[in-house]
Amino acid sequence: MPSKEQVLRLLAEGQGYEEAARRLGIPPGRAYLIATGVPADGSETVVGPRRRDRPGLLPTHPQHLVNPRTVSPTGREDVRAWVRERARGERAAAGKDRRS
Amino acid sequence: MRLRSWPLLRQLTGPDRSGRGTAVRSARTDGLSARTADADRVVKSVCPYCAVGCAQNVYVKDERVVHVEGDPDSPISRGRLCPKGAATLQLTTGPSRLHKVLYRPPHAADWQELDLATAMEMIADRVIDTRRATWEWENDGRRTARTMGIASLGGATLDNEENYLIKKLLTALGVVQIENQARVCHSSTVVGLGTSFGRGGATTFLQDLQHSDCIVIQGSNFAEAHPVGFQWVMEAKARGAVVIHVDPRFTRTSALADLHVPIRAGSDVAFLGGIVNHVLENELYFREFVVNYTNAATLISEDYRDTEDLGGLFSGFDPAKRHYSDDTWQYAGTSVVAAAGDRDGDPSQRVSGRSETRGAMAQSMEGTPQRDETLTDPRCVLQILRRHYARYTPELVERTCGVPPDLFAEVCRHLTENSGPERTAEFVYAVGWTQHSDGSQFIRTACILQLLLGNMGRPGGGIQALRGHASIQGSSDIPTLFNLLPGYIPMPHANQHRTLDGFLGTDAPHKGYWADMPAYLISLLKAWWGAEADAGNDYRFDWLPRLTGSHSTYDTVLAQLDGTCKGYFLLGENPAVGSANAKMQRLGMANLEWLVVRDFNLIESATWWKDGPEIETGELRTEDIGTEVFFLPAAAHTEKSGSFTNTNRMLQWHHAAVEPAGEARSELWFMYHLGRIIRERLAGSTDPMDAPLLGLTWDYPLEGAHDEPVAEAVLAEINGWDEHGEPLPGYAALRADGSTSCGCWIYCGVYKDGVNQAARRKPAEEQNWIAAEWAWAWPDNRRLMYNRASARPDGRPWSERKKLVWWDPAQGRWTGYDVPDFEATKAPGYRPAEGATGADALSGIDPFIMQADGKGWLFAPAGVIDGPLPTHYEPQDSPVRNPLHPHQQRSPARLLYPHEHNRANPSGDEPGAELYPYVVTTYRLTEHFTAGGMSRTVPYLAELQPEMFCEVSPELAAERGLRHGDWATVITARNAIEARVLVTRRIAPLHLDGKVVEQIGLPFHWGPNGMSPGDAANELSSITLDPNSHIQEVKAFSADIRPGRRPRGPALPALVRDRQRRAGVTDDTGMEA
Repeated sequence: MPSKEQVLRLLAEGQGYEEAARRLGIPPGRAYLIATGVPADGSETVVGPRRRDRPGLLPTHPQHLVNPRTVSPTGREDVRAWVRERARGERAAAGKDRRS
Repeated sequence: MRLRSWPLLRQLTGPDRSGRGTAVRSARTDGLSARTADADRVVKSVCPYCAVGCAQNVYVKDERVVHVEGDPDSPISRGRLCPKGAATLQLTTGPSRLHKVLYRPPHAADWQELDLATAMEMIADRVIDTRRATWEWENDGRRTARTMGIASLGGATLDNEENYLIKKLLTALGVVQIENQARVCHSSTVVGLGTSFGRGGATTFLQDLQHSDCIVIQGSNFAEAHPVGFQWVMEAKARGAVVIHVDPRFTRTSALADLHVPIRAGSDVAFLGGIVNHVLENELYFREFVVNYTNAATLISEDYRDTEDLGGLFSGFDPAKRHYSDDTWQYAGTSVVAAAGDRDGDPSQRVSGRSETRGAMAQSMEGTPQRDETLTDPRCVLQILRRHYARYTPELVERTCGVPPDLFAEVCRHLTENSGPERTAEFVYAVGWTQHSDGSQFIRTACILQLLLGNMGRPGGGIQALRGHASIQGSSDIPTLFNLLPGYIPMPHANQHRTLDGFLGTDAPHKGYWADMPAYLISLLKAWWGAEADAGNDYRFDWLPRLTGSHSTYDTVLAQLDGTCKGYFLLGENPAVGSANAKMQRLGMANLEWLVVRDFNLIESATWWKDGPEIETGELRTEDIGTEVFFLPAAAHTEKSGSFTNTNRMLQWHHAAVEPAGEARSELWFMYHLGRIIRERLAGSTDPMDAPLLGLTWDYPLEGAHDEPVAEAVLAEINGWDEHGEPLPGYAALRADGSTSCGCWIYCGVYKDGVNQAARRKPAEEQNWIAAEWAWAWPDNRRLMYNRASARPDGRPWSERKKLVWWDPAQGRWTGYDVPDFEATKAPGYRPAEGATGADALSGIDPFIMQADGKGWLFAPAGVIDGPLPTHYEPQDSPVRNPLHPHQQRSPARLLYPHEHNRANPSGDEPGAELYPYVVTTYRLTEHFTAGGMSRTVPYLAELQPEMFCEVSPELAAERGLRHGDWATVITARNAIEARVLVTRRIAPLHLDGKVVEQIGLPFHWGPNGMSPGDAANELSSITLDPNSHIQEVKAFSADIRPGRRPRGPALPALVRDRQRRAGVTDDTGMEA
């Protein structure tokens, strides 16, 4: 198992957790845990100044290290197309009504 | 060799003696990997239990959900889940769920299996037949265009999109009896908050609790009922806030508070009124805030008479009709009427049940109120308030609530010392306040207090309503409620105003944002009927069925009993144990022709005909029951996409992680396909009753193996679009000319730019505490409502410590941390011109922009039909005589439902009251959820809280011979139940008015089904309702308790009847005004 110093050294060299973990042969989340003592998935109990002072800590969203395959879309083109088509259909129907 | 592999020895003899590294590994553990690590994908979701809205990560492998965890990015939950949320994996994938349709033919003894397609066809048949047989064009000579033969209940556990389709389809079918859990949980919140401030939702958001200097939790066991939200109370405490818990029981909330104040259940108005009196008598109110931002200075009609003048009644009470006329409560020189709820202008319809619309969205006002900003005129609101509460002294508080004066003084001191320009206090409540026959007034009292103390619209201030279902706020906003259309627009009543203009024109609001109601309503009609709706046909306004009074869920029960209501949909709600007077719920269902139950498993509402309590007692026989029952398995939140609206008006999207298994389907699927089948059957019909259904826009795109409607398309319709199909950016873009379409005007903006704003998940750590880019909240993504009040009248913050939104003179606009809940460029010095209308009629110092006068209402000239000011009345069943108004025991306008199974206990010093001598209160546990359908069937949760119990004090135990761990029977005039006895000092006897009052605590989650069966507390409660909201009184009633189990069989009703006889209970007991 790599040591904390090994992970932090790679980070100091400018590597991200993903690359550091690849070089050390461990998953990125584990590299984060080794370096910081804080689980990347947010299940930590270390909070406040004790946490902020830890070297290697990411300022936000470390869960991407353990949850890389996240599904969270914020929009669908097929829905936007459906909306346009519905509005177009209503426009057309309204025009037909006016003509008839 | 084996010995050396023993872990402890290996640890002690190896290099890792502390057991923190290699010593804890073994060949077996080396072969294990976390379910999270192996997952194919992680799908973002939201917890389906309470309304805190904890974000979840759902892990999927091989198209199966394998794990559910909290999402640490959430600004609300920060990754945490409570025991229920942590049991979500078992809820959604456990063995308790059914995946097959079941069918019980009339009079049959057991279920049969039925395929889903056949069941859908049969249900469509039943709807068509019942609708046609019960169709009503007119009622009493007034057009109604509806059916009273069909009703629906449920929606708070469902997505907004599902509620939308339920309301849309059933309304087009002419069904008006559409209700959900919001009726029985927080309908009085909408009245209380809405009347006082203009909107019926919680005024703040959970994270902002951290900025409070004093938090009063009353009517809620916050730490146990909403545990993850409670972390923000602890953040406040860590910053030095004082936490006060006022509650009959000492709970984990009390344990974490600085002060616990035991109180008699049902006496909260007296307690809060006492604080109001303390604030006024000691001139502790925030004068500049009160003068400028409330109606304290407004003069009231000379004809107004207070309860202090009339022995407990306000002026205008009609004892024959048992309701008030609010004519004498008006502002002097004006008339204030409902802006959104009384628009049909028929005085005969100004009856109970309308206030939810009034309360939700403020009032209309004609004329200009007269004001006395010295606050000395005897007719100004502040002086009326002073006189009204003058008798609410610490001594009266003690006599009524059982709270000693020194403890009461401590509460007053903390609250007032932590209110003002530099400090703010917040009230937090839940159904401990709402579920009373005057529940709306409980909330109104807190509103008055917060306005007096200047704690509204400011960080750390406000009133936090803790709602209890994942989307119960959403099912109020997009209402599966009989009296509302989406966005709190009232359902029209049958009357002389049959046209849209007549509806909109009568009492039209000219001031405030309700002046745009025509745009909101016409856009809704366009969303529902598309090209069919145009100006030439009144946008099909006549296609809306009409109300003729109250059609709440409790009225529906009576309609079932009298045979009017013949078909019933239960959509994720379990009234057989979860609604007041559970026996009447079941008897009502036993009189139906057909019943459709959609749930995860066989809840009590699905099986009462086979194994319900009345089968055991012999009051019903299975073979006599003609109700045809369909059970359709429901999809879980992990199996469908959609949005929940949490307790702070925030819409959060959950994505489908997997397809539902077997025949389980979403409500979106069920409603869409039911509508499709019925429309196909009726295609070509020329019967006018079918026109609204056939004209409905019902063309949603479908996806997946089951042809699931695309939920995001429904959300897009809710948001609305313009004539070119561009999603609307917000409700200000809505037009009354038919060029815009919008399914719910207050949700307009949730699909701004074609982006699902509810699905946004920018991590909390990348934002300030407002977290404006996490999901989306109504209105217009404002998180702390009425935030104009966070600044002085001149626009500067009250203090640096409490700044939130302020006027930037250089930019000529309001700015700050939150989205201003105010017209962005309206300067503080703006004053409306004579005759100004709409938003222009509100001045630059009117923070309550939905109110016609822009002020917070200390005194409610309209909107709360049981009185303009909260007054202490006793619950319907109470062992205590009203100490404040000895000749007016109960709220005179409360709603009663006389019935042989709904009799009242004698109260106070009435003969027979001694046979029901104790106060009962009901409550929620951490490990269970509402009526138990989502917890008593989940093994983890059932094991954690395995049995129904009753909490009693050691003194009560001694008095009645109850032993800890043994059984006890609790009796009211309705029924009797048994529960395990929990003798505890947590529920202490109270000393008040020369007597000792004992209280009994009952959790309300149980019923006969599931892994943890037990008697339901709702067997004991009565149908006695708040006239404003139609919420039932289940948080305070009287009962007796005796040792031992309850009788079985016919002996059970015999026991209840015998107790009635001994107490002299008749149909008339407790029925006087």
